[in-house]
Amino acid sequence: MSENLSSSPAAATNVQPSKLKAEYCVTPGASAGLEVVLSATALRKNYLSGSQRLEVLRGVDLAVAAGESVSIRGESGSGKSTLLNLLSGLDTPDAGSLLWSGRSPHPKDRARFLGMVFQSFYLIPEIDALANVLMAARILGVLGAAQRARAKELLALTGLVGRAAHLPAQLSGGERQRVAVARALMNSPRLILADEPTGNLDEHTGDSVVELLLSLCRETQTALVLVTHNAAHAQKTSRQLFLHDGKLSYG
Amino acid sequence: MPWPLYLALKQLFPTGRRFPFFTFISVTGVALGVALLIVVMSVMGGFGYEIHRMITDTQGEVQVKVSDGGVVENPADLIPVIAAVPGVVGVTPYAVGLSGLMYGEKASFPQILGIDLKRVESVVQLNRFIRPGSLDDLDDDTVILSVQLASSLGARLGDKVVLYSPLFFKDAMKKNDEVMLPRELRVVGVFEVGHQQLDSNTAIVTLRRMQDLYGLGHAVHGFNVRLAPGADVDAAVARFNAALPLGTGLKAYSWMDSFNDFLWVLQMEKNMFFFLLLFIVIVAAFSVTSSLLISVVRKTREIGLLGALGGRPRDVAICFCAQGLFIGTVGTVLGLALGLGVLAVRNDLIHTLTHLTQREDVFQKFYQLSQLPAHTAGADVAKIVVFTIVISTLAGVIPAWRASKLKPVEALRSE
Repeated sequence: MSENLSSSPAAATNVQPSKLKAEYCVTPGASAGLEVVLSATALRKNYLSGSQRLEVLRGVDLAVAAGESVSIRGESGSGKSTLLNLLSGLDTPDAGSLLWSGRSPHPKDRARFLGMVFQSFYLIPEIDALANVLMAARILGVLGAAQRARAKELLALTGLVGRAAHLPAQLSGGERQRVAVARALMNSPRLILADEPTGNLDEHTGDSVVELLLSLCRETQTALVLVTHNAAHAQKTSRQLFLHDGKLSYG
Repeated sequence: MPWPLYLALKQLFPTGRRFPFFTFISVTGVALGVALLIVVMSVMGGFGYEIHRMITDTQGEVQVKVSDGGVVENPADLIPVIAAVPGVVGVTPYAVGLSGLMYGEKASFPQILGIDLKRVESVVQLNRFIRPGSLDDLDDDTVILSVQLASSLGARLGDKVVLYSPLFFKDAMKKNDEVMLPRELRVVGVFEVGHQQLDSNTAIVTLRRMQDLYGLGHAVHGFNVRLAPGADVDAAVARFNAALPLGTGLKAYSWMDSFNDFLWVLQMEKNMFFFLLLFIVIVAAFSVTSSLLISVVRKTREIGLLGALGGRPRDVAICFCAQGLFIGTVGTVLGLALGLGVLAVRNDLIHTLTHLTQREDVFQKFYQLSQLPAHTAGADVAKIVVFTIVISTLAGVIPAWRASKLKPVEALRSE
């Protein structure tokens, strides 16, 4: 694993290539001297629908600094999930470039660099909450006493003390999403991508999950990109963006 | 533990939940196949083992005889030579041939075996098989009949049978003035070794009587040799052939050489059974493949999640292959336990079944056995275990390939 993808702030500040003064940032707020964790330049993505070519993303520029939270709103079908898939490296753009801490994304780096939270939680039903959180560490290939302690600590931080041994089916929707948040934070990633994490939750529970996500990211200097339909949740982030007509713009 | 193996185990045996139905069905299929293989291989092995035991019990592990079927003129000189070969614990000469036997109006042409009363017990514990009667009563004027021969003639202990020498027929045909008269012998025993070939039509007389009947003088047809327990029979045969005097035509044959055709047929049957029954395991493996394919479809979004968490397609493939491996391993262990359990109570099962159908006598007559033999060979168990686990693991390959080909983005979006 490369040094510049390390979760250690000390290690991160030693790596100059990741300290980009991103001229292509949608907002200059991202270039306040902090490490740019995520930078996307002129991302384009097209889909074929029958014989018709749909231009979903038509040149998206985005830079997110460490500890910064960015919300992206947009109408259904505007390409928010497509953008998130490109930013996560799960899908490849037709044009444009993407950098994770100044480096081209590599699948090998995903487990350490990136945490993801989804609308549908996606917990593994056969294992309990603690094991679900530890799954991120297992996939990274580091699982020891320190990781177990961290997973328990994250469950405590997400308000799930006493629920560690419960299977996902025994948890409420809000609790499941909290487990998913803990899992996303397990490997101390540099960036968290959250795709409508409150979409399946009631208003109150959704509020608490977003609050939790924002506070944990702030405390750990983790960058957050939050895709949401909820204006109130978007307002809580440090930058609010809209995806419209295949491009990002200020809220 | 690497995460693909961990997840494979958890998907088959989830934390704090009942055995999933899919796991139960898959494991049961494999276990039944393995159990059947173990039972059939053990019973086939049991027949082979019983035959080995019967052959070696009745003639020792090695026979030394003249290769073209001739006679050994100087047995007294050869006995010390054979006895001196390392590993030999007993040696006894024999003479054998067909002859006519009459009891009243009933006639038979049994195989007559002439044994050396002084030496025979060092090779064959013949007395074990004689019921009723005793070997101690055997002398030049008596005979011991095999159970079926006695039964077909209707001869009992104390009855007198008439034994014709082949020389009698020879003299009669040549119309010689002097013919060898038939001998009247008293039945002093009936033996049953459990081997159809010997039990059906054999009579035992003293070596001297047999030499007299066949006009052999002091010659014999060969020697039966008993080796020390656990001795390597093939190595012993090689040592005999090195020690036997050249130019005599004498050669050593192991018990396996003597019953080569029979043993080959038995081995062929066993191999055939293994091949046919292996299809049960293969069918069970198809059920594993089908179940795992359903699992891949059912868990598509979880597979997408694993990709999103940084899991490589190769690891996802290993996860599903490992499920085949674990199903195969657990099925094999349970199948072995079930198979060995059935073998342990096989005679009770057969007794109950034949009792219910009132066919106990038919079973005994047909199989020549009152109990079903079984001998579980380590090599057979190893073969079954390896084949089953390999086949079960291969059963996971297609689902594993399908799972590894899923793109996380599409998998996460699937309904």
